[in-house]
Amino acid sequence: MIEASGLRRTFGKVVAVDDVSFRAEDGRVTALLGPNGAGKSTTLRILYTMIDPTGGSARVNGIDTVADPLGVRRVLGVLPHNAGIYQRLTARENVRYFGRLNDLTDDQIDERIEGLADLLDMRSFLDRRAKGFSQGQRLKTALARALIHEPANIVLDEPTNGLDVMATRALREIISNLAHAGKCVLFSSHIMQEVASLCDDIVIIAAGRVRAAGSADEIRAQTGEPDLEDAFVRAVERAAETDAENTAGQAGSNATTDTRGDA
Amino acid sequence: MNVAHVATVARKEIADNLRDRRSLLSAFSIAVLMPALFIGMLLFIINQAVGGAASRVEAHVVGAANAPALIDWLRSNSVELTEVELDDPRAAVRDGDLKLVLVIPDDFAAGFNAGQGHVQLIHDSSKLGDSARHHAQLSAYLNAYGRMIGRLRLQLRGVDPRIVDAIDTYSIDTATPAARALGVLATFPYLLALVIFMGGFYLAVDTTAGERDHGQLEPLLSLPVERRDLVLGKLLAVATFSVLALAAFLLTFAIALPFVPLHRIGMNLTLGPAKALGVLITCIPLSLLAAGMLMVVASFAKSFKEAQTYLSFVIFIPTLPLIVTSLMGTDPSLVTMFVPSLSQALLTSELLSGAATPALWIVVSVVTTLCVALLFFALAVRLYRSERLLV
Repeated sequence: MIEASGLRRTFGKVVAVDDVSFRAEDGRVTALLGPNGAGKSTTLRILYTMIDPTGGSARVNGIDTVADPLGVRRVLGVLPHNAGIYQRLTARENVRYFGRLNDLTDDQIDERIEGLADLLDMRSFLDRRAKGFSQGQRLKTALARALIHEPANIVLDEPTNGLDVMATRALREIISNLAHAGKCVLFSSHIMQEVASLCDDIVIIAAGRVRAAGSADEIRAQTGEPDLEDAFVRAVERAAETDAENTAGQAGSNATTDTRGDA
Repeated sequence: MNVAHVATVARKEIADNLRDRRSLLSAFSIAVLMPALFIGMLLFIINQAVGGAASRVEAHVVGAANAPALIDWLRSNSVELTEVELDDPRAAVRDGDLKLVLVIPDDFAAGFNAGQGHVQLIHDSSKLGDSARHHAQLSAYLNAYGRMIGRLRLQLRGVDPRIVDAIDTYSIDTATPAARALGVLATFPYLLALVIFMGGFYLAVDTTAGERDHGQLEPLLSLPVERRDLVLGKLLAVATFSVLALAAFLLTFAIALPFVPLHRIGMNLTLGPAKALGVLITCIPLSLLAAGMLMVVASFAKSFKEAQTYLSFVIFIPTLPLIVTSLMGTDPSLVTMFVPSLSQALLTSELLSGAATPALWIVVSVVTTLCVALLFFALAVRLYRSERLLV
């Protein structure tokens, strides 16, 4: 389970995350949905202990991200935005490296790689060097690497970026399977359709604040829009209006400088 | 400290980079080419000195028949003269066909007998190589011949020939071939420092700035591993490459050195297994320092390219103390052992020349160098703990 309460993060004068609170439950897929520069990546980076919050706090399985980052990392599998794998290592070696750093024995690693290779359909490229892998093969390797220590919580930052239709479908299935297996899956996206079809819970973020949260139905009800995409657009527009009134509207546009760091 | 984590990171970085041709080229090309260059220079000097090349003079001559006595005398002084027929000897020299031409005009004999004969010596002073020496020497021979004839003529007239030589100068060049060879050998410590830093150069960039550029750093940092252990693993990998490059350098050197006939110029220099090992061990602390320094600078850089640019300057830093002290002519002493890079250079020289080195010097060199290495390590850890690395 992942909880964020009152998260805030500034970079100099730029407010990347203003006030974000939500809870991602075990056995469910939760999406952080928002336009580019909304603060999704910054929020996730706080959750997986890459950066500290300026205000508020976050807990994974009840462990505070600032007080015990190593403890959080032990129960967390992370797929950062545009995660790279080592090109001169094979897919198996990439996964094994992370397994060892997660204190698994070589026997455990070999056994789990077998399972992951089936789950992620990696057999055909498992022992090939990663240089020249397709986007999908790279993603699967990075995902296998993130899952090798069988974490209870999984955070994925825009995982479908750059994937073709087939790979996206495969990934969606993997995500649902992980949730069915009781994992807490949290991922970020700016693509409405994939969120609607896949997620149990949606957290809409714009300009560093949560604008709406709940299941797809609940969000439609909250915004009064029958179509989820309209609801999303309404929430984002409303955010821009209120922020303009509060002269904090700066944060939304300036937060794009933050996305540079995401890459 | 989690030793297993450190070992895992170090092993991965070494295995990863052993598969990279650029890493290997960057680390080992200098290590192997430098000794070759070095040995080549020594061979050249020795051949010049011992093969008699230094005293031989070669020239072409036009109109040799006009002064047979002069030509015979020059040849008896081991000047190698080749007779040629040329319409325009100047053009031949200007175009580089010939290097040095002695022109004896048809009216030489007439002028010579009447008091003063004229010859021309045509050369191109802008040409590199031996031609300047050939010219100077041939011209000295011609002057000597002229003076000799002049003195004989004075003697025949009953005048003491010394009257025309108010000052008689002898030049004595003390630059023995051995001294010149020593000059070459003095560059050995520079090469050593350069090889040590070049050995870790590519790895330092690849494992820090390169890893970040390729989006591999963030997943790594999201693992339950202390940053200190990550940095130490990477540092050990970089240092390992540096030591391997140094070993390759010493091995190449040790293999090539016996082919240089140093005994012919009265020198005795060997690099046996014991000495080579001594040099290697003396330099291991410097390899660790190099790894730390390279990593700090590379982690500080914002991209792979920026890191490469910075590091190409950094690798010359270790040669600075060597340059300064070689200008000042510093001898090895306890104080110099406090300066990393310099202490290794001096210890290495002592080792090579077979001099006995006080154990205290070695201890001071090792401890101070390791302290500086530790400082760089701490700095690198600090950088890896800061968010600056990612944002």
